[in-house]
Amino acid sequence: MDPVMMKILDSTMVSVCREMGITLMQTSYSTIFNEALDFTCAIANRDGDMIACAEFCPAQIGGMPLMAKSMVKEMPLDQFDEGDIVLHNDPYRGGLHTPEHTFFKPIFVNGEIRGFAVSIGHIAEVGGMVPGGFCGEATEIFHEGLRVPPVKIVSKGVHNKDIWRLLLANVRTPRYNYGDLRALISAVDLGERRMKEIYSKYGADVVDQTCNDLMDYSERRMRAEISQIPDGIYPFEDLVEDDGIEDRPYKISVEVHKTGDDIVADFSGSAKQAKGPINATLGVTLSATYNALLHMTDPSIPKNSGCFRPIRVVAPAGTIVNVNYPAPEVGGNTETHPRIAGTVIGALANVIPHLAMAAEGATHGNFVFGGVHAATKEFFACYDIEVVGWGGRSFADGNDACDSINGNCRVTPVEVFEVRYPWRVEDWVFREDSAGAGKFRSGVGYTKTLTCLNDEIIISQMTDRHKVAPWGLNGGLPGDKGATLFMLSGANEWLDASQAYGKISPSKYSNISIRKGDRVRLVMPAGGGFGDPKERDRESLREDVVEGYVSAKAAQDIYGL
Amino acid sequence: MGYLVGVDIGGTFTDFVSFDTATNEIEVWKNLSTPGDPFDGVLDGLTKMEHLDGIQRLRLGTTIATNAILQRAGANVAYVTTKGFRDIPFIQRGNRKAHYDMTWIKAKPLVKRRHCYELDERLDAKGGVLKALDDNEVRALAAKIKAEGAVEAIAVNFLFSYLNPAHEVRVKEIFAEELPDIPTSISYEVLPKWKEYERASTTLADAYVKPLVGRSFATMNKRFDELALGGRVAVMKSNGGECSFDAAAAQPVQMTVSGPTGGVVASRALSKLIDVPNLVTFDMGGTSTDCATIINGEENFTTSFEIEWGLPIQVPMIDVRTIGAGGGSIAWIDKGGLLQVGPQSAGADPAPACYGKGGIEPTVTDANLVLGRLNAEEFLGGDMHIDAKAAHDAVKRIAGELKMGVEETANAIVQIANNNMVGALRSVLLERGHDPRDFSLLGFGGAGPLHVNELMVLGNIPQSIVPINPGQFSAFGFVMTDARTDKQRTIQQTSARFDQEVSTGLMSDLVEMAVNEVREQGYSDELEIYRTVDLRYLGQNYELQLPYGGDDFTDAGLTDLWKRFHEAHQARFNFHIPGETIEMVNLSIAVVAPSPKPTLTTLAKGSGSPKKKGERAVWFDKAFEKSSVYDRADFLDGQQVDGPAIIRESASTTVVCPGYVARADAYGNLHIANKRS
Repeated sequence: MDPVMMKILDSTMVSVCREMGITLMQTSYSTIFNEALDFTCAIANRDGDMIACAEFCPAQIGGMPLMAKSMVKEMPLDQFDEGDIVLHNDPYRGGLHTPEHTFFKPIFVNGEIRGFAVSIGHIAEVGGMVPGGFCGEATEIFHEGLRVPPVKIVSKGVHNKDIWRLLLANVRTPRYNYGDLRALISAVDLGERRMKEIYSKYGADVVDQTCNDLMDYSERRMRAEISQIPDGIYPFEDLVEDDGIEDRPYKISVEVHKTGDDIVADFSGSAKQAKGPINATLGVTLSATYNALLHMTDPSIPKNSGCFRPIRVVAPAGTIVNVNYPAPEVGGNTETHPRIAGTVIGALANVIPHLAMAAEGATHGNFVFGGVHAATKEFFACYDIEVVGWGGRSFADGNDACDSINGNCRVTPVEVFEVRYPWRVEDWVFREDSAGAGKFRSGVGYTKTLTCLNDEIIISQMTDRHKVAPWGLNGGLPGDKGATLFMLSGANEWLDASQAYGKISPSKYSNISIRKGDRVRLVMPAGGGFGDPKERDRESLREDVVEGYVSAKAAQDIYGL
Repeated sequence: MGYLVGVDIGGTFTDFVSFDTATNEIEVWKNLSTPGDPFDGVLDGLTKMEHLDGIQRLRLGTTIATNAILQRAGANVAYVTTKGFRDIPFIQRGNRKAHYDMTWIKAKPLVKRRHCYELDERLDAKGGVLKALDDNEVRALAAKIKAEGAVEAIAVNFLFSYLNPAHEVRVKEIFAEELPDIPTSISYEVLPKWKEYERASTTLADAYVKPLVGRSFATMNKRFDELALGGRVAVMKSNGGECSFDAAAAQPVQMTVSGPTGGVVASRALSKLIDVPNLVTFDMGGTSTDCATIINGEENFTTSFEIEWGLPIQVPMIDVRTIGAGGGSIAWIDKGGLLQVGPQSAGADPAPACYGKGGIEPTVTDANLVLGRLNAEEFLGGDMHIDAKAAHDAVKRIAGELKMGVEETANAIVQIANNNMVGALRSVLLERGHDPRDFSLLGFGGAGPLHVNELMVLGNIPQSIVPINPGQFSAFGFVMTDARTDKQRTIQQTSARFDQEVSTGLMSDLVEMAVNEVREQGYSDELEIYRTVDLRYLGQNYELQLPYGGDDFTDAGLTDLWKRFHEAHQARFNFHIPGETIEMVNLSIAVVAPSPKPTLTTLAKGSGSPKKKGERAVWFDKAFEKSSVYDRADFLDGQQVDGPAIIRESASTTVVCPGYVARADAYGNLHIANKRS
């Protein structure tokens, strides 16, 4: 092993992935790409192991190895030609959820495949029951949009027009989909080109050997971190509040078994799979477990498949953490993922509280909508992401308004949102007293109020934490829940989706017709607090009151000021 | 005729360059900076000049605004915005710096939430008034701010104000009446572009430094007046242009990267002088390294500068990428046993081990000493005492842990530092779609010439250049600059529907505004006007910038523009979308008042090599190699030396690697290339 070469190759490959991401951001069409950055770019070796990635969306990073391995299994290496590009989004072939479109481009060196450039991005509109991909009331995978098994969308450098026509005929916004898919292709083209340069500069065998060394190195670093955790069995559970179809909670239950430098996360105690779309595929559960452990270990460890080797997952088929075909599962990747990751963090918080965080809001809002824009007559569809309060930590308050840990997405500016979509944003404000109280309080949540300016906008949502509050740690209190509220034009009362539209769930619903002048209010949850609120530093508490994060009454009643 | 003087006020040293326009002679010198009152250091340095009245133009690079922001030493700012949106500076964009780091703490904006106020006004997404501003409400707010007494500056940012400034302008007028002692920055004047958070952050930064910069510049202006230099002194802006003290104080956010621009301006001048159109600059100092590019003889501008991660300042400025790697960067071994270099720096205290000031951690400078690339007797021309043994001991300490030899370890430290710096080069080249093979690497700053040869190899850059006076190259840039003003405006037209009359009107207004701003500062010579537009496919959210010639938008001009966009998209991203609608988003105007430039003297022609001054053992790759030592001052035009070689001068040392050759050009710049090329 050559440590200098390892360091050089690692940072070179990470910057290739970053460059791929910048290309994606700059050329894509949907706000979920270019404003929210819901994508990931990575390099895999020919076995499908991830050897480098850049700092984009963790859910997709942890999901990548299984996706790549499934693709290679179905499409063996000898079926590839130089210049091919494979597209794949199928959750039941190692994928995460239907919107997550993944492109693989083989990297040929002297006629032999050495690896793949990979780009994964969330396509905002995928056909199916609702505009915007998140059908809160889906009961089959077929409701959730077009499934694409691994297909060669580009063959020996030539675009396969038949596949393009098929894809674009099945979605509501073909011009936007074309722009986004083209951007993802441009990213793998770039990744392949750069990696070829790297292979020719250092020699293919040296690069492959160094990548293997890098994965071993990351594994060693992970094992060293895991060794620090006392051996034992640590249980924890949390709830997904409902599935959009039946009004009852679904348990996510974990037992983390820590022995030596190995970790097994056993989710056997979790609920049977749901009828509605909150199920996680095995890929999602692996990704969520990896995500939790990467968040609790040294951030400087190079992120590659070696990190995942000390971690094993037990997830029985037919449960909410390993769903069987053909159940729906679009929300598994956004809502159940952070719930799974949260239980692993919660379990280990028993023994390593200094590396833990109380529950974060752990939802992305996933407010999706579409319609025909009155001004342009063009169909629009949007996947809008909102952010939450992070949980309190042993050394600091939770961050206010921060993306849940399975994403690393940005909110869309009001000025971009209003130019593109027929809504007016009325306000966007922090919620006083929403933070979970604690020695270190959580970050606060916010509300955002939208007024419809179009004759009609069809909305759907796939969110959570409207009924079950984010938990605190070490005596910290739960944070405030979220809500989605409606006030119809002319009315003067805020109602939730169950009250206003008779939906089973207030947080997961499909195809509500919003008319001109109707208002929608997105209330985003905070996180849980860390430690006894009575122990909160008085100076920080007084500052909270002056700054309007904590009311004078709460400071007195809860914090004992 | 007279002297053109450049003064670069740095953290440790203040650098001076004076150019005598009568004799074309250049003088360079430096003295210690005086952080308490930077003017003292400037004045002290100027005493070296015999006749201050001989100064034709003196230009200052200053870090006052930068330091106030970085050290959070600015004013108590109030933020005034549209009703419902006072939390925008705190919500920011919701993403985080690293993908897996639960210890991350979100950046705090430059304002307290208790000083954020809302006014009940609203524009729609086309700039139309939905809710008119109420003067009485503004006056009531002014009274409230006054009564609270804490606020020293105000930033105003209304939604969609980039489309219609009326409300912001009115608030500024009323505040000027009601709060005459508190400066107000409005977003329309600071950054008239969409995306409310980025505009808020930029406007807040402007307000944050305004009182301090205003006071400081007023004092300096007064003291220059006392020296009878008033009117002949200018300040460097982040866009590489100069402006008057008054103009700088009115929009201090324009000074954010005043200092590092000098090196870029000097590089641009050098690029033209020696006809090397594409340069990537590498300015390596003690704690940080600045990289920038010159492409086709022109510097590049950015609008994505960040104070720290998540706090943007989006005014156009010269695109300088700074990384925390320099001669003082510390080498250490991480928990997994890998050698790392930086980002911690020994700085000036405890300083590299070889400085003998108590530092025991090995730094890049110590490694260079161990490798024989630096020599203890020659440091800063022999003016500084250096402890070579301390350097050796420091490197040896970690060599033991790595089970490697001392020299191998020192070599690994230099290689890893080089690789970190190549990361910065990559970010200004590859990440922007430029091929390193089309560039020359220009190395300057105290440590740049030491690393430039290895870096060019590592970065796939075919040749490198070490300019004359590399240690004072930034200050040299200040004597080469022009006055410059940049203006931009959101325009929103498409190739399918383009209102030529309205857009042409907007462009003329913007040109007039920029020209007036330059003229008001007393620049009356012929002005150069540059127009550029930001274009994208309708649906994309990021733009490519293309020049537009001509005063009017015409059918012919636009047809050519759309065609050039498709070509540029193909060139930058490897694809284009034929027939797709193109959107024009922003219009930018740059007005430049060119100033007289120095004419540099040339060297006599020579041949062969200059006289060798000695030999010493220098480590390259796996072993020490006997290397020839030369003095920079001995080179004549066309003379060259083969590597391995060391070329000495007072403020730096150039290393030429085995297999490479360094040749002096007519002006004395050294060009390093592979012997076989």
